[in-house]
Amino acid sequence: MAASPKARDDAFPAIELDQVCLGWRDKVAVRDLSGRFPQGSLTAVVGPNGAGKSTLLRGIMGWMSPLAGRIRLSGRPGDDLAFMPQQGEFDRGFPVSTRDFVAMGAWRRVGPWRAFGAAEHERIDAALQAVGLGDFGRRPLATLSGGQLQRALFARLMLHDAGIFMLDEPFSAVDRATTDDLMALLMEWNARDKTVIVVLHDLDLVRRHFPQALLLAGQGVAWGDTADVLTPENLHLARHLCAGDYL
Amino acid sequence: MSSEKLVALHSSAVRRRLLLGLAGGGISLAMASASAMRAGETLPVVATFSILGDMVKEVGGERVSVTIIVGVNNDAHRFDPTPRDAKALLDARVLVLNGLDFEAWLPRLAQASGFSGLQVLASEGVKVRRLGDAGQHDHDGHEQQGHDHDADPGHAQDARREAGHHHGDADPHAWQDLSNGMIYARNIAAGLARADPRNAGYYEGRAAGYVARMKALDNEIKAAFAAIPRERRRVITSHDAFGYFGDAYGVEFIPVAGLSNQAEPSARDVARIIKIARDSHISGVFIENMTSPALARQIARESGAVMGGTLYADALGPADEPAATYLGMFSWNAGRLLYVLRPRKD
Amino acid sequence: MSGIELLYMPFAEFGFMRRALAGSAALALAAGPLGVFLILRRMSLMGDAMAHAILPGVAVGFLTAGLSLTAMTVGGMLTGLLVATLAAGVARLTPQREDASFAAFYLVSLGVGVLLISLRGSNMELIHVLFGTVLGLDDGALLLVSATSSVSLVVLALVFRPLVMECLDPLFLRSESRMGPVVHVVFLLLLVMTLVAGFQVLGTLMVVGIMMLPAAAARFWAVSVAGQMALAAGAGVFASYAGLLFSYYANVPASPAIILCAGIVYFISVSLGPQGGLWQVVRQARARRLRFSRIPERD
Repeated sequence: MAASPKARDDAFPAIELDQVCLGWRDKVAVRDLSGRFPQGSLTAVVGPNGAGKSTLLRGIMGWMSPLAGRIRLSGRPGDDLAFMPQQGEFDRGFPVSTRDFVAMGAWRRVGPWRAFGAAEHERIDAALQAVGLGDFGRRPLATLSGGQLQRALFARLMLHDAGIFMLDEPFSAVDRATTDDLMALLMEWNARDKTVIVVLHDLDLVRRHFPQALLLAGQGVAWGDTADVLTPENLHLARHLCAGDYL
Repeated sequence: MSSEKLVALHSSAVRRRLLLGLAGGGISLAMASASAMRAGETLPVVATFSILGDMVKEVGGERVSVTIIVGVNNDAHRFDPTPRDAKALLDARVLVLNGLDFEAWLPRLAQASGFSGLQVLASEGVKVRRLGDAGQHDHDGHEQQGHDHDADPGHAQDARREAGHHHGDADPHAWQDLSNGMIYARNIAAGLARADPRNAGYYEGRAAGYVARMKALDNEIKAAFAAIPRERRRVITSHDAFGYFGDAYGVEFIPVAGLSNQAEPSARDVARIIKIARDSHISGVFIENMTSPALARQIARESGAVMGGTLYADALGPADEPAATYLGMFSWNAGRLLYVLRPRKD
Repeated sequence: MSGIELLYMPFAEFGFMRRALAGSAALALAAGPLGVFLILRRMSLMGDAMAHAILPGVAVGFLTAGLSLTAMTVGGMLTGLLVATLAAGVARLTPQREDASFAAFYLVSLGVGVLLISLRGSNMELIHVLFGTVLGLDDGALLLVSATSSVSLVVLALVFRPLVMECLDPLFLRSESRMGPVVHVVFLLLLVMTLVAGFQVLGTLMVVGIMMLPAAAARFWAVSVAGQMALAAGAGVFASYAGLLFSYYANVPASPAIILCAGIVYFISVSLGPQGGLWQVVRQARARRLRFSRIPERD
């Protein structure tokens, strides 16, 4: 059962989309999407394969310019974006300790040259503890299992102290226990007024934990409360729009 | 032309007359050109390499046309003849060669080309030196001057083997002594005279003048070297070609191998040269310009010797440089050596 | 002569040996760490290709100014950057992948370089550019190598964090800062600079050896990037020392000797290194088999 929405300030959404088209010259991945992610909301982005979910997140991050329309961020201080892309895009065998890997998350405060102060070290320790990797600091990154790696990624994301967290399929290929632990973490962040947007495939998880959902299929199919979005008709429509085979 | 005239041409009488006229014209042309060749004809001579080629030009003057087989950019020791060389040889009437096993490739080339002219052995009558002769002692005194190359014959051996020489073989570089150069010139003159008796006097006259110039240069060089203290007259060369020069003018040449004609020397080669240079108090180091100049400079720096630059051993220098003639080359070599050997005010 | 004396005598006695050691050690100190990054970025072969790519620049410098250090260095740098830029451009604008486009450009570059050098110089001079003259390093060359290495190390220290991030998780770096492309360019610059300085010491053929072999070996001993860098530098210096000694006592050319010693270090590392070396692999496999053999069979 979804918790009641925590969206508080509709007048200043964290992210607002206005007829946004995203894609490349020969392929438009997202078409005419309009809507808003309210402040402090917890939204799941779902849809068949090839629906443009990852592209949407990248567009919000600013890695792609919209072909049309506008993406507006609230611009409030402390409302910066933190993004966790799909796994597999970094070098897992790299010779770095887990702690150093997590420490990368402090970049915005520490930059390329500043030393890590005591406060920063405390934050890193806290992050590692929060994800259950408290004793794993010294271990080389390459020795972490899939689930442990995912926890490390969460810890790194946590270090950001951003206002908006966007995650792209964070639970794929991760065991149940880890999924539960990390989902709890996400909800904890949301409880602290962070806006959380997660791309997911597991509709059960969405129905259980996410009050808001956006169903995407190359264009916006439905956006709002999860119960209203994830209706059989909507899902059917989405599947047809994408010729996807996932439901 | 009208068809009537054409028909007329084809009539047999006209044809006969035309043919006779043509034949007559042809014969007189041939005779004219034959006599023309005889009047301004030059004697075609082939010289095996550039030094001999220059000598032949000096002695033969404008009465000879000289073709040189091994040019200034090739190595006579390692030369590989081409069909063009065979043709040049075939067209020649005189072949001037050094002998003393210098031109290992010559017998086969001569046979292949079918050369039937006169062969002139330039080094005939020369007092031959043997390679590996410790014949670099001065005439006065039995001073032993720590011949490192004796104590370590391996090094000198390497130098010679590299250049295709072997210990005990005849040293072919006889032209490095001007007295031998004079013998060469006289032999060449005699050979040219035999092949072209009409101009014998011309050749002998030119040779005499040439020899006189050699004599003058020879005296000058002898005096110059004598003026330098004996212990300074020691140099390192990478090519064992200056034995005759050393004997004639009192300079000790220590050949050391391992630097020229090689992609990269080993540390031991370099160390060996420096050691010899240091221990024998070498004044100068002459390494063929094949070697990296950086390396040469390093050796000079560490051994205290002077880098001498290039010495011309087996060939003349390029066309518009002083060493493009035999006498020029000799002056150049002597000049470089004198520059390096003269006492330094340190 | 005692055994210990054998190890240092050539250096004590001959200035050219000391210089050779100084020059190659200076080169190794910077080349090793750079090599570690090359490997981490999966650009191992790129190092070799880059060394060949700079040849025409060096050749043009050589043709215009003889064996002048400055001319050849500037020429090498310009050509290296040109090739890298063109290859990247082609990869971005056409369907061709970056490794293929780079291969194409560096091969053309190499051909042009050989042609230019053969035009004026003899083959000997070409060979000197290819093999270097580690035994004939003069003050100018030594200065250049030392200066280049120092600059490289300092710059590496400065961009260490973003460089590591760019290798490890470029997407993450991109989401945090715009330094990514800058760091990439800086790294390329350092690479070209080191190659150009290094070719005087070891020649264009071998300089990549001193860059890659110690770095490849370090991977079997150290667990962190910094550790690998330090080890790579150390291994390179050791290989220089051993190679020079080998050249001296065994009478073999110097720069290949240095690279061979680096190769031996690599083979030892592959076999015995604690981090994934062959001996470790065998030992672990045996231990595993032992563990499984101890599991009692079900009746």
